This record gives sequence, C-alpha cells and structure tokens, in this order.
Amino acid sequence: MSQKDTLGQELSRRGISRRALLKFAAAAATSLALPPSFAPAIAEELSKARRQSLIWLSFQDCTGCLEALTRSEAPGIERLIFDFVSLDYQETLMAAAGTAAEDVLKAVAQENRGNYLLAVDGSVPVADNGVYSMIGGRSPMAILSELAEGAAAVLAIGTCAAYGGIPKAAPNPTGAAGIGALVGGKPVVNIPGCPPIPEVLTGVLVNFLTFGKLPDLDAQGRPLAYFGTTIHDQCYRRPYYDQGKFAKSFDDAGARQGWCLFELGCKGPTTHNACASLKWNGGTSFPIQSGHGCLGCSEPDFWDKGSFYTSLSGGEGPPWGAVAGAAAGGVAIGGAAAFAARRARASVERQLAQEWKAQEDEA
Amino acid sequence: MSPMPPSRAPKIAPATRRIAESRSQEDQTRLDAAMRGFITDFGPEAATWMEACLHCGQCAEACQFYVETGDPKYTPIWKIEPFKQAYNRQMGPFAPLFRMFGLTPSVSLGQLEHWQELLYDSCNMCGRCTMVCPAGIDIADLVEKARHGMFDAGLVPPDYLGALAGKERETGSPFGIAPNAMRDSLLEIGEKHGVEMHVDEPRAEVVPAVSSIDLKMYPDSIAATAKVLNHIGVRWSFMTKGFDADNVSLTAGDREGQKIVTEAIVAAATDCGAQVLIMPECGHSYTEMRWEAANTVGHALPFRVLHMSEYLAEALEAGQLHLRPVPKDGQGHGVTFHDPCQVSRRSGRSDAPRRIMQALGLDLHELADHGPDSWCCGGGGGVALIGRAKTLRNHAFDIKKRQVAETGADTVYVTCTGCRQTFEHGFKDAGAETGVGSLLDLVAEQLDEKEKTS
Amino acid sequence: MTLLDFARGPALYAATLIMVCGLVWRLTGVALLPFRRDLAASGPNAKGRVSGALWQVVSRSFPRRSFLGRTMVTVTIGYAMHIGLAVILLGGAPHILLVTQATGLDWPALPKGIVAIASGVTLVSLLLVILRRLTHPVLRLLSNVDDYLSILLTLIPVLTGILLAEETLLPYETLLTWHILSVEALMIWLPFGKLAHVVFVFAGRAALGARQARKGALQ
Repeated sequence: MSQKDTLGQELSRRGISRRALLKFAAAAATSLALPPSFAPAIAEELSKARRQSLIWLSFQDCTGCLEALTRSEAPGIERLIFDFVSLDYQETLMAAAGTAAEDVLKAVAQENRGNYLLAVDGSVPVADNGVYSMIGGRSPMAILSELAEGAAAVLAIGTCAAYGGIPKAAPNPTGAAGIGALVGGKPVVNIPGCPPIPEVLTGVLVNFLTFGKLPDLDAQGRPLAYFGTTIHDQCYRRPYYDQGKFAKSFDDAGARQGWCLFELGCKGPTTHNACASLKWNGGTSFPIQSGHGCLGCSEPDFWDKGSFYTSLSGGEGPPWGAVAGAAAGGVAIGGAAAFAARRARASVERQLAQEWKAQEDEA
Repeated sequence: MSPMPPSRAPKIAPATRRIAESRSQEDQTRLDAAMRGFITDFGPEAATWMEACLHCGQCAEACQFYVETGDPKYTPIWKIEPFKQAYNRQMGPFAPLFRMFGLTPSVSLGQLEHWQELLYDSCNMCGRCTMVCPAGIDIADLVEKARHGMFDAGLVPPDYLGALAGKERETGSPFGIAPNAMRDSLLEIGEKHGVEMHVDEPRAEVVPAVSSIDLKMYPDSIAATAKVLNHIGVRWSFMTKGFDADNVSLTAGDREGQKIVTEAIVAAATDCGAQVLIMPECGHSYTEMRWEAANTVGHALPFRVLHMSEYLAEALEAGQLHLRPVPKDGQGHGVTFHDPCQVSRRSGRSDAPRRIMQALGLDLHELADHGPDSWCCGGGGGVALIGRAKTLRNHAFDIKKRQVAETGADTVYVTCTGCRQTFEHGFKDAGAETGVGSLLDLVAEQLDEKEKTS
Repeated sequence: MTLLDFARGPALYAATLIMVCGLVWRLTGVALLPFRRDLAASGPNAKGRVSGALWQVVSRSFPRRSFLGRTMVTVTIGYAMHIGLAVILLGGAPHILLVTQATGLDWPALPKGIVAIASGVTLVSLLLVILRRLTHPVLRLLSNVDDYLSILLTLIPVLTGILLAEETLLPYETLLTWHILSVEALMIWLPFGKLAHVVFVFAGRAALGARQARKGALQ
C-alpha cells in the first residue's frame, strides 16, 4: 500500500464491495448528522481519497485510548479507515525507536507539511517547563507547538488530551493541561472519553477525508454529531427515570429490573457522549447497560467532581464540623449583638430611673 | 356627647408637668425620649415577635378599625411600624447592619406624630389581631409597649387621655378624687341606696377596686357591689388609699403613673390582709393587676386578683351566692352578652359570666362572634377617653351594633364599666333602642335573700 | 470548574454555612435579650408553659373559623403554597436523595406526577401571592423589598425545578445549575429576610403559647 493508493483501490484489493462501501457511507452520514442523500457522495469521495498522513503524539497518557482504537474485535470498514490512514509516527506502534524514530518524525513532518493530521493522546505538563514528560530531551510543549504549526488540523484524542483528564486531577502536580488551550491558530477537535468511542474517531476521519475539514463542533470543541446530546437523553433506562423508578443499591430489586441508576450516582444527565447510542465493542453494551452508572468520563474534570456514587441532585455539602463552626460563629455574633442591645437598654433604664427619682424628690 | 362624665370633664386640657415639659422640648430631645421608651421594652418575647411578622395582612381582617373603615393604615401591625423601626435599628440582632446600611430609616418625630392616631385613636389593644396572627405575634402587647415611648415623647393625645393620666399620676385618681372625697362619696352612695357600706376597714378578706367612672356615672354599680358582697357574707371593704380601677396611665403609656397606681392598690389591699382583689372592669387595669402588678411591685401578690364576674362565678360555685331567676320576657327576645376583651379573650375567662347568666336563667342569644372571638366595644385601650376619636370609635362600634341587632335581643349585658359606657354612647349616637345592662346590677337585683338565710 | 461544579461544590458549602450562621445569629440575638421572670400567679385554667408553647405551635397552623370569612383567600393561597413546597421538598426523589447523602436519613419518595402537580400549584400560588401584594391595599402598604425578594427567591427554584423535572426549554445541565444556584441564593437570604419565618413563625407562636398558657387563655 503506497501513499498514492486510493481508499477505493485498497477496498477492492481486500474484496470489499462498493455496495458495502455505500452502506458504510450511509451509516457515516447518519452518524455525522448529514442527510442520507449524502451517502453516495461520501462513498465517491472516500473511494477517491488518498492515504492521509497522521502523526500521533503521546504525552501524559495511559495508552488506553490507543488500545481502544486498535483492539476493535470486528475488522469492519471502520477498522479499515483507521488502517487506511498512514500512521507515520506512533511511539507505541512503530518499530523504530530512539533517534531513528525521531528522524522519521522530522522527515514526515517536513514532507507533509500543511497536510498532515496531528493526533494527541495524553495531557501536556505545563509546570516546570514540562520536565515531567520529556521526549528525546524536548518538552511536550515544544514538540506540540512545532508539529501543530505544520498540521492541517489537530485531534485531541481522549479526555486527557481534550481537557487534561486524570493527570490534571487535583492537586495536578505537573500542571497538566488539555491541548486545546496550548495550540493556537489551528482547527482542533476534541474527542473526549476515557477512552473515546472508536467510531467517533472514524467519523471525524471520514468527515476529513470526504470534505477536507473537521465536522461541526460544539462549544467545547467536540463533534456536535456525537456529543450534541447527553447519555441520559439517549439512555434505554430513561423511561424508568421518567417514571421515578430508581435502583437504590447495586443489588436491589430495582437494579435487577434495570431501573434508572440516577440515585446511585449516574452522571448520564450531565455527560455528553454517544455511549448510549453507538455503544462499545461493536454495539454490544455500554456501562449503564452493564449495571453501573455513567462516570461522566468524557466531561472536563470528571475526576474532581466528587464521588462517582453521589447522585447529581446531591452536592457534597460541608462536613458537620464546618456546620457546627458556622453555628458557633452565629452564637458569637448574635451574642455580641444581644450584649450591645442589653447594654444600651440598661443604660437607658438607669437614666430613666434617675430622672424619675429626681422628679419624685422634687415633688 | 362627651365621652367623659360632664361634671369631671376638664375644661381646658390641664396637661401635667411632664407632658407640658415634653411639648416644649426640642424635637430631638423628645425623639430621644421616645427612642428610650421604645428600647427599654424589648426582651426575648417582644423581639421574637418583631422578627416573626410575615406581612400577611391577616391582622387587618381581625381589626374592627380596618374592617369598618377599609383604610389599610389601620392594619394592626402597621400601627407599631415606628416601634419596629426602632427595634431594627437599636435592639435587633442585625441592628448594626440596619444602621450601617440605612436599611430602615430612623424614626422621626413627624412620623411619630403621624402615628399618634394609629397607636392611640385606633387601637383598643383588644387582642383580636393576636388571635388571628399565624406567627402568634401579640400585637396588642406591642402596642401597649409602643405607647410608652409615645408618652415619653409627649405624644399621648392630651384630650382627655393624657390629661386624665396626668391627673391620675398627681392625685392617684384620673379625676383627682382625693381619698377623703372618695370615702364620702362611697358612704353617700351607701346611704342613698340603703346598703351597708364598708370603707377603709382595718381588716378585709375582699377588696373591690373602684372605677371613677362608676363613681360618677353608675353609682348603682357601686351600691350593687356592696349589696352583693354583703349577701355573700364575706368580710369586705373598699380601700381609699388605693382604689383606682381605671389605671388610665397604662393606656396612656405612662409607666411611672401606672406603677404609682398599681403600688397604691397593692399596698392598700396588702395592709388589710385581703385575700381577693376584685376589679370592676375589663379594661387594662384588670390586666395590669391580674398579670402585671406582681412584676411591677417586684414580688408575688399576697392576694388573688379576680374580675367581678370571676368572683361572682366562684361565689355561685361555692354556694355563697343565691339568685332568683329572671322572669322570661313575653316576646322571647332574650338578651345578649358582650364579652369584655381583657377577661374573655386575653385572660381566658369567658366561662365566668356565662355561669352567672345561667344561674339567672337568662335567655342568652350569643353574638355571632362571642367568647374569645368577640369584637371589642371600640372604647378599650383608652380610645373612649380620646375626644377626637369619637367618630372613628362609633364607626368601629358599628360591627358590634350589627351583631347585637342580629341576635334580636333587646338588652345587651356587659361586665365592664368601660364597655358599658361605650355601648350606651354608641347606641345613643346611633339612635338605637337596645338597652345596656350591667350584669353585676342584675345580680344585685336578683339576690335571693330567703334562700340565703334558709 | 464548570458553573455546575461550582454550584454543587463551594457554593453549596458556603450557602449552608451562611444559612446556619445567620439563623443562629438571629436567634441568639433575640434569645439573649434581657429576660424578665413573670411573678404573676397563673390563671385558673392555666397550662404548663411548655405544653402551651407546643400547643400553640401546632394549633396556629389551623386557621380559626371565626376569621376565615375574611381571611379565606390569604389562608388558601398560603396553604396551597406551603403544602406544595412541603410535597416538593419532602416527596421529590432528588430532594430526598440530597438529605440521604448528607445525613443518611431516607424515606420513600412520592410519584413524580404528584410532585409535578404540587410544583404547579406552588408556582401558581406564588404568582398569586405577588399579584395580591401588588393589588391588596393592606398588603401593598405592608410589603417591602424583603417581601418581594423573598417571594422571588422562592419562585425561581420552583420554576427551574419544574423545568428541570420536565427537562424542557434548556439543557438538563443548565437547568440543574440554575436550580441549585437559585436554591443557594434562597439559603443565603433565608436568615436575613423574612424567609427566616421558617424558624420565627414557630418561635413567635411558642412565645405567645407560653404566655397565654399561664393565663389559661390559649386560643
């Protein structure tokens, strides 16, 4: 497979029919919130598309995002799309290492300048000049700004790259930040999730291959087509929420009957993602279906939003000690006010008593 | 029609020294006096009520001055607005904040002058508002307290309330009746009515206080008191050293005068070893003697304080009082009864007069609102003693008049001198025919001496 | 930190402390004023001070019949609003959850439909309360900024709560955020304005009850 091959050629080499491609294009159009009439055009554009150069940088990551994207069990067209891009630099997957790998990066970036896509997983340490994740003696900030400059667009893959994620969790010793805050002047798409849904990345790539640009984004820089609604809105347990039927513990009768997990801390109502509709592992299941509430992993700072098992209605109020302290403060201030009032009253009473006595004496 | 006994009505308002002084003082000094009066009245109870108001306006619906005039300024809680302002700025838990940020304007003398009508002319301190208030605010009590500051600032209506209060402080009687004059009058009444009169006995178990209004307008009631007590056969005596059952000072807001009157009565009753002090009227002197005197003199009283109706009911119960039933009237009109606010509502004794009426076999047609729910006659709280309040008072009396008319009764019985006077004037001004009767006088008429001796 | 995180975290924390501190402050400031012992003999029908206070706290919740003819409208609207609020607060599943998480206390929730009806009734009552304050001569005279602010601060959480429960008009998160923030505004204002009647209305009744019990004149 060379750089000049088109996706159409690659598909026919693998024995995948045009009919299958059209089907995929129709599905892609739907998931990207385009009308079905776009499907033939998408299929046409896709089959003409050249291999796209993709440079993948990993900073403060756990490789979970990559695992999720590459370990898809069913090798469908989604997988092929992923295979079809020319993954020119990925530290985990590439055979080369050390300076050889760095040379590849330099060469690819030079060759495809202005055209390559830059994917990043993991957050960027900003504190202490980025010493927490040096690669080849260079800080992630330096590498990122250099490569972002020559990229056509930047993909922030996973919650860490999008918002800082778990490395950014309090107390955030490395000063971890999402890349959106660090890359200027280039289109950036956030594909949050811990890990993100593979189909979402594929969809973004299809959009880029077909239309040469990133899909429409929401205010948080996420593809609107996948992140426009909350998990709660699309959840199959939603009717139970509407009926007020809630599981009270993970093994009660309600839980066994598949009632809503809101009271057990499900963050579905405030989490924007496509888990409930696309699901995972080829549409097999997603966390809520397996009986656990949503953790809200694709939302900024999800790790710092209190317990996963605290329901959304219940914030974590102050501890009793603080409440008692506030009450004691109230007694002190109120007592002082009452004391002042008592003194004022007593002095007036003394005054009045004197005056009355003087009057009586006079009489 | 003067609200005062003509013979004693002051020709020009003989303002007391204190009132005269305060009138001539600089405004600021007077305002200071008012504020001092206000702030010395706040304890936890009054303060709680200050904090509790919901501004729900229900008290207006319980107040005859609002109900009959429809003027929102007569809303009971509004009447103490300056008092509330003083509290918020001086005594409340947020007083420093109120002052610092000017959240409540400070009270001005002009405001207080404006409020004089609301605190005096249009409040009977009858406590109906207290009963309706969902927060249990005793507005009547707060009005009584607020009058202290008003009096201290010389803002009591001078005609005649202030004048009478001044006289009372000076002489021990609102009409300036000296003890020896009092003695003579009482003995004269005894002679005239052929009743054995006991005055200033060295020892007495029962001491009735005397209302100066009775003395001048209803001497029959004084005679009736003597007659009934003689019938009961208890050792009793009027005491001229301290007899003033009017305590006009209290309604005027003069704490000092109030104290002088109270102390005199307590001393007189204590000296003769009294066990029971009888108060002849419902008004505030009953409340004062019954519930406040012990606090005023600083110790528990060595005698019981009872309203005349309570005493009579007790005597009935004890078999000391024997009554002949009143013959039924031909038309079956029956009679009705006006509950005196301070006894029936404020002290929970609406049962006492009804026992007496039952013993008298009266065909009682209750008013639509009776017992603790009764409307005030309109004269309570010193309103009967404010000359200029007459029109307003008659207006407030309308509701009573209507309710009396609704019963179809031709006589309304009262157990309080103040109520009796207000009713008589009210009916007269309205040209109504309904009779006003004193329950005590009726008892005196219906004494069954035969039963007693047998 | 999103606004929702702020609302559920530091803002809730601060609002709770301010509410507790303010209420205790106000109560202490009142309770520690000079108290005078009552020396008067009690009346023949006297009850104990404590039982009188408790009796009055309960009995004043029920309007006296002789006044109802004139106070029916106020009483009805007041009842509708307060019962509605009680149903929402004590019966709404998310509210119970909040209490459960803070204290461990738990009780069964009312069906969502009933809470929805109660919310509607409360909202309408609150609007009527505003309307009456603006039109009734007595209420117009008595009302001040505190009254309107207090009603508004009650109305906003009810309104956002209804929208939140129905998940209409705005995204769930936005509604949740504003619902929580509006409740916090209510909590912060509660001790300082007339919303403190949640405590003082009972304190006032108890004070009267204790006094009237000694006189034997409980009504």
